[in-house]
Amino acid sequence: MKNARTGATPGRAAPRKGETMHTRILVALVLSGCLAAGVGVVSAADKDTLVIALDTLGGQIMDPIMDTRAPHAHYHAPIWDSLVGFDLEKGGIGPGAAERWELAADGRSWTFYLRKGQRFHNGDPVTAHDVKFSLERVMSPESISSGAAALRRAVDRIEVVDDLTVRVYTKGVIPQFAASLSRAVFMEGSVMPKKYIETVGAKGFRDKPIGSGPWKFVRSIPGDRVEYEAVTYPHWRGTPQFKRLTLLLVPEQSTRLAMVRTGEAAIVSVGPEAVKEARAGGMKIVSVPGTMQAVYQFWGLYRPEAKASPLNDVRVREALSLAIDRQQIIDHVMGKEAQWPMPFAAFKYSSDMTVPRWEDWSRTALRYDPARAKQLLAEAGHASGFRLTFWNTALPGTPFMVPIGEAVAGFWEKIGVKVEMKTVEWGAFDPMGRGEQKGLVGTASMYRTAGRPEPIPRYATTFVSKGVQHLFGDPQNCPVLCQEGDKAYEAVVAERDDAKRTAATNRMIELVAKSWIAVPIIEGLGTWAVNPKGVGYFKPIPGRHEFGDVTERMPRPEQRPWP
Amino acid sequence: MQRFILRRFLQSVLLLFVLALVIFGLARVSGNPADLLLREDATQEDRAHLMRALGLDRPVHEQLYLFLAGALRGDLGDSIRYRKPATEVFFERLPNTLRLLPLAMVGALALAIPLGVLAAVYRGTMIDRVSGAVAVLGIATPQFWLGIVLIYVFSIKLGVLPSSRMGGPSHYVLPAITLGVFLVAGMMRLVRSSLLEVMGSEFVKLARLKGLSQTVVIWKHCLRNALIPVTTLFGVYFALLITGAIVTETVFAWPGVGRLTYEAVIFRDYPLLQAIILLKGIIVLGVNLGVDILYAYLDPRVRYA
Repeated sequence: MKNARTGATPGRAAPRKGETMHTRILVALVLSGCLAAGVGVVSAADKDTLVIALDTLGGQIMDPIMDTRAPHAHYHAPIWDSLVGFDLEKGGIGPGAAERWELAADGRSWTFYLRKGQRFHNGDPVTAHDVKFSLERVMSPESISSGAAALRRAVDRIEVVDDLTVRVYTKGVIPQFAASLSRAVFMEGSVMPKKYIETVGAKGFRDKPIGSGPWKFVRSIPGDRVEYEAVTYPHWRGTPQFKRLTLLLVPEQSTRLAMVRTGEAAIVSVGPEAVKEARAGGMKIVSVPGTMQAVYQFWGLYRPEAKASPLNDVRVREALSLAIDRQQIIDHVMGKEAQWPMPFAAFKYSSDMTVPRWEDWSRTALRYDPARAKQLLAEAGHASGFRLTFWNTALPGTPFMVPIGEAVAGFWEKIGVKVEMKTVEWGAFDPMGRGEQKGLVGTASMYRTAGRPEPIPRYATTFVSKGVQHLFGDPQNCPVLCQEGDKAYEAVVAERDDAKRTAATNRMIELVAKSWIAVPIIEGLGTWAVNPKGVGYFKPIPGRHEFGDVTERMPRPEQRPWP
Repeated sequence: MQRFILRRFLQSVLLLFVLALVIFGLARVSGNPADLLLREDATQEDRAHLMRALGLDRPVHEQLYLFLAGALRGDLGDSIRYRKPATEVFFERLPNTLRLLPLAMVGALALAIPLGVLAAVYRGTMIDRVSGAVAVLGIATPQFWLGIVLIYVFSIKLGVLPSSRMGGPSHYVLPAITLGVFLVAGMMRLVRSSLLEVMGSEFVKLARLKGLSQTVVIWKHCLRNALIPVTTLFGVYFALLITGAIVTETVFAWPGVGRLTYEAVIFRDYPLLQAIILLKGIIVLGVNLGVDILYAYLDPRVRYA
């Protein structure tokens, strides 16, 4: 019923004079706003720009001495060359800004020979003076670079022999020294421009960094992106096929997947759990072999308070390995984005070791054999199982370690071990593994070893009595296994002959493998989803999850279509 | 009035001091940032060096003194992660959040007010029940999930809106909706209840007796009064969302203060976290102080209470 005076239905406003017009104007404005905002806006990145979306950009500080963890290899690598580079096909180390290097006869100095014709983005030539300056800058007190302390311990002095030759004297014989100057390990080998930094200062350098890499810095927007521009001259690492490179920080994986599907990014980092979805959306998957190894390890078994632990019987430790069905973990936890592991901290690209021998060993020794596992437990007097505390944790960048740990615990339960699993955040677990390790004695934990060209430095950290984790023993409690471990390690680092060092490394690997104290579970793959319309077919560097040293060799889609 | 303002100001300063103490303590309870920055094979020596470089090797009371003394000078320390002044990092990100919030809030108001009015006017009817359900749904829907669904529908399936990140006007649509839906629900319920209360007032009865239409009574007389608590809530939401839009900013890769707060917690970036909380505290206290003063100006009973 209408209101006789106003013509409105009860409870509703009668349109006032001009109100209809206002409404129309409002509707028109809203519609035009929507049109301006929305129509055709899922704009793929322009064809000259290579866009990569990442889950982290670390500290996003444009200075090699100011970041401490792996993301630097995403956003530093385009700008700065590393003194030692990669073997692009096999992985491991290869020529870098230095085309070759040699170890002195006494093993205490390394001479690096730089490539000719290298230049910084401001046109200054790259010389041995820049290399000396860079290494000294990494070792300076202001540096928080992750390997700065190790470099300080290793380097005695640095000498410029001539413009293209630099010699580094080490404090003792360090066979793996060259590898530590490769981005395959950390960023300590980044070559920075001496003259430029001395002119503009550290802040000026961070605000407007230059290097000698194939990409020039354009701008960095904190928490959002870093933009680069390709150099216009041929570069020894490869001259970029795109004019621009943009690294985007997109923390949420679902969003990154959406971006690659819509073409807003050409490449995005994804975890193994997202691979299936990415493939279903028509994306290509690039799997980088050997980026990490998930392991479990036993802590402080040599300590008096752990003497009664069943874990002190090597048969029990072997049984725990035989109880694990690694193929199940690879297929179901990792969605097939993982491989059968090599021995602890060893990869197919590792140097100083006999790879085929250890491939054979791991196929057999790391097999799934629950019957044998139960038999070994019975022989050790633990047929009805025992209690085991298991710290489950994931190191930064590898969240899938927690489900792997859950699967491992499940397999152990199947042979009668009563697992008390404690899942903790990495930040809470890490301090427990340093110093006296009181909370960890007699327990097991998940751990990880990153892909590195040489296994021995990792063995020093984990097993040598003066190492950080000293799983075999510490200087106060060093049983036979610990003494053997120390001797085996000393034999490796003292050996300058390549063949003999390989034999010594094999012995060290064997000692650790047969101890079953730190046991590999799977070898992880770095996984990326790629939009084939955004970038052409490319191959990653084995062992290097980060693409900072790959972008310059990525073709346009039409140059090399995906198979 | 001056005494009232002075009293409120001193209370705010005291509150900030307490906030500074609490956040200083809470940040340190979460662990040591050096443990997240060090690589796995770092030695105790490496750790000690990093602690020195970050200024974390000093006793806690000394760190507290330096923090408070610095704060008085306006220096909240350097971010451990970004290696530059924490205040600079905060103010770099603040404009990004401030760009997003008004859109979400205005959009939310534009929906919440009409829906709230309808629910109140048609109290107990299907309209009221539907709007109540909408409110519950808005509060119960996880922003994280809603954001992903919106991206799937509008970016991947329909291809009409960008999936994330800051950019042109189109980039604001999905994050603003995600953020706004949560606000709509709360505001709508408040408009409804506030309006129902006002609708029972004597002056409303008088207006009706005077023969004014329902539309005029509701939209002109009732709503004006009913919106006072909504305005207060609006201010509170605005302050909260400056650092509270964490989920939305993460899903949409929006480089705002919310995500910065989350990163500061995750990376145990003490100075940055302290700066964010303190600066946000200052903003909230500033807004509250302004509102109190305004109230006192408008209503003498407040200042003499």
